[in-house]
Amino acid sequence: MQVMPSMTRRTTIAAAAALPATLVAPALHASPPAASPGDRPLFGASAWTLPNGLRVVLAESRRVPVVAHYLFYAAGAGEDAPGKSGTAHFLEHMMFKGSSKVAPGAFSLVVAREGGQDNAFTSRDVTAYHQTVEASRLPLVMGMEADRFAGPLLPPETIEPERSVILEERRQRTDSSPRARFYEAFEAALFGPESWRGRPIIGWESDIRAIERDDLQTFYSRRYAPGNAVLVVAGDVTEARLRALVEEHYGSIPARPVTPRDRAAPAAAPTEARLIRHDPNVREASFLRSAMAPTLTWGSPQAAWALEAVAHLLGGGQGSRMHRALVETGLATSAGAGFDSEAVGVGAFMLSATPRPDVAPERLEVAIDALIDRLVQEGPSEAELARSIRQMTAGALLALDGLGAAPRLLGSALACGLSLETVEYWPAHLRAVTLAQATAALRGVFAGAPTTTGWLLPEGVPAPRGRA
Amino acid sequence: MSDATPSGFSLPIQTVAAGGINAWLVEDHAVPVVSIAWSWPGGAALDPPGQEGAAAFAAAMLLEGAGTLPATEFADALRDTAIGLSFGADRDSFEGGFRCLTQALPEAIRLARLAMRSPRFDADALTRVRARGVAAARRALETPRGQAARAFWAAAYPDHPAGRSVSGTPESLAAMPAEALPAVLARQLRQDGLLVAVAGDITAAELTSWLGQLFADLPPGAPPAPARLPAFRDFGTKVIEVASPQSSVIFGQDGLAARDPDWEAAQVVLRILAGGGFASRLMHAVRETRGLAYGIGAGLDLVFGEGVIIGSVATENARVAETMKVTRDEWARMAKDGPTEAERADALAYLTGSMPLQFTDSRRIADTLLALRRNDRPLDWLANRPARLAALDQARLAAVARRLLRPEALAAVVAGQPQGL
Repeated sequence: MQVMPSMTRRTTIAAAAALPATLVAPALHASPPAASPGDRPLFGASAWTLPNGLRVVLAESRRVPVVAHYLFYAAGAGEDAPGKSGTAHFLEHMMFKGSSKVAPGAFSLVVAREGGQDNAFTSRDVTAYHQTVEASRLPLVMGMEADRFAGPLLPPETIEPERSVILEERRQRTDSSPRARFYEAFEAALFGPESWRGRPIIGWESDIRAIERDDLQTFYSRRYAPGNAVLVVAGDVTEARLRALVEEHYGSIPARPVTPRDRAAPAAAPTEARLIRHDPNVREASFLRSAMAPTLTWGSPQAAWALEAVAHLLGGGQGSRMHRALVETGLATSAGAGFDSEAVGVGAFMLSATPRPDVAPERLEVAIDALIDRLVQEGPSEAELARSIRQMTAGALLALDGLGAAPRLLGSALACGLSLETVEYWPAHLRAVTLAQATAALRGVFAGAPTTTGWLLPEGVPAPRGRA
Repeated sequence: MSDATPSGFSLPIQTVAAGGINAWLVEDHAVPVVSIAWSWPGGAALDPPGQEGAAAFAAAMLLEGAGTLPATEFADALRDTAIGLSFGADRDSFEGGFRCLTQALPEAIRLARLAMRSPRFDADALTRVRARGVAAARRALETPRGQAARAFWAAAYPDHPAGRSVSGTPESLAAMPAEALPAVLARQLRQDGLLVAVAGDITAAELTSWLGQLFADLPPGAPPAPARLPAFRDFGTKVIEVASPQSSVIFGQDGLAARDPDWEAAQVVLRILAGGGFASRLMHAVRETRGLAYGIGAGLDLVFGEGVIIGSVATENARVAETMKVTRDEWARMAKDGPTEAERADALAYLTGSMPLQFTDSRRIADTLLALRRNDRPLDWLANRPARLAALDQARLAAVARRLLRPEALAAVVAGQPQGL
């Protein structure tokens, strides 16, 4: 279905490339560290910039006569104004309501008539619009995309029906799922419910109701400028032809000033260090713990790369420390760690676990505390770090199978302010992580970073007290 | 494939036979990746009464250690070389497959074969997988959507295995005897009934030798035939009380069998009515015009080759009645007059023009080929599809819409706290 989800990059990439999202990671360095002679760029993409500031990337692939056309804006839910969370996502919906040459609602219908597929997504860091079409239809979708780039109509009479659609989307994704409601409250507990990082991408319900047409227009004017956009095309088109097409369709969009991202530094302490929720619909208890962490754009990029490997060795499935200590011992049905280094501003390193029904939540939390204490004290071994890096990088080339991974990885990295090389050489960046870096990075996260621990519990299950 | 033009896009499918096994292959050496998908008829339909979820449980155990490799060592062998091996049970089939880099193909074949021929069924792994399955089965019932899905199949096929849970219930998984799992493999993994599809960086000659190794020594005969699927039972509207601000609705009716001469015409009609995203009448009426839901869609699902139309929508409790009325009205309008000429032209343009999009990655190609084989399509089915579609005129589509769609027999499960139903 051609609906327009508000996805995080993590799910977007996982769906596109079918790789664990932790594999996907770029860096600030202009060239790969410790690149071995055999290292080649993953996609071999070329890049250039138009006079109006629009950056263009081509990942050519002649495998089938198909092209994927992605336009990224370097603005997402993190740029929503205070009290107006959900604006970036609302605008994404409204971009389908017409522009000077495309009637309201016609965009997707025209693409479908040409045998193509189109969609869009909003994450905290980017908003992206994309179409996949048979190669000869590239000029058509480019023309329509450039038209709404230059000026969406945002017809006033379509705002209220679309607000209803978005409220239903929120009910479907979040309000009707006890786990999604809990996760939303958990992020707010760590970062603060009104902070750019602690608000939901789709927006709080009261904020969605408060968004006005002017808010959408303002967001568009400040953020949807050529200098704040990245166009990525993957598939069956040559560079010469693409250069001509891009000049024809996007070259005439005038340069405009861009309001840069202005994200507040995170608070020095969590809003709530402990979040306990009981829910009558919940049948299985759930544990979450998140610590504020560096990313490739915030704090030390080296630490961010190292944390990718730490997440794998700590909670990357079978053979990881959490799996051995919690799942194989019969305390938990599942346990894992997650970390996404590619983000603008502060990140989060997360642990999750589900206790077996006959195991008291308290007992599981004590075991998690013990295994983290031990890892912080001893640090990981050379062998487990090497195993993690080997397994995370082994499938890098699988991203070439399909036309979705290249534009999503390249476009989101550039829109986050990272370089092309961070994507093209990500395995080399990961392989450069040393034991000392991994140990230092995990100590930074687990000894001192602001942290929230949460439990979602069925009614009547006693809440663990947690360590003082 | 890169020199194909829009009108002449074609997908050369070869057949490769080895050791009594016949595979369909699309060679593509542009990217160093190979995908293989295979299946047998059976799956959850063969689960004995009281052992719902046995086939899915057994499939999960195939990745929990084989031969001399206990679970973690087996997982490491796959992950060290990025082999994406999977097994699974569906309502009517048991499936396996992998995607890997070309250089890892020998190891992928070795591990896939080892998993099917020498699974360990270690007691500790069995305990873990059981606990995981029970938790997932319980968690699935936490949302209106999960409750609706469970109830829909049970109400539509109360007296057939298709009405039961594919992945099992908390009770059936907790009680599953250990010996039920090797029994699944014994009846399911057979020489006959096996269908294989391959795509990617592999030649026909290479595939010939690998096929024999992958499926050598399977016991003769086919999996037992499940009971024939009865007609969809029109159970009216069934409400399941779940505390939630939004109701999840799953609706459906009898469809057409894969072998039915009207099958492809029915697909076109359903795309226009409900399956075409923003191009569908239901999306227009429910989302675009009235803002009743984030999305609505319906399509033909095949179970044992028989068709059932299944759709879903989620809307605020207070607007369930209106959403259902709009849906039934659109159903009735399409049944009465069929699509317009313009809708017909748009749908055919999409279905013909989008064909190359289905062939951009090896796993999707292998899955597409396998689906064609499961529906018993000939080798030239895709090549001749544009011509068959072009022959569907408005009168034919209107006749099929009349035959297919029965608004009065549209059954629905509503999970939530709907008002005014």
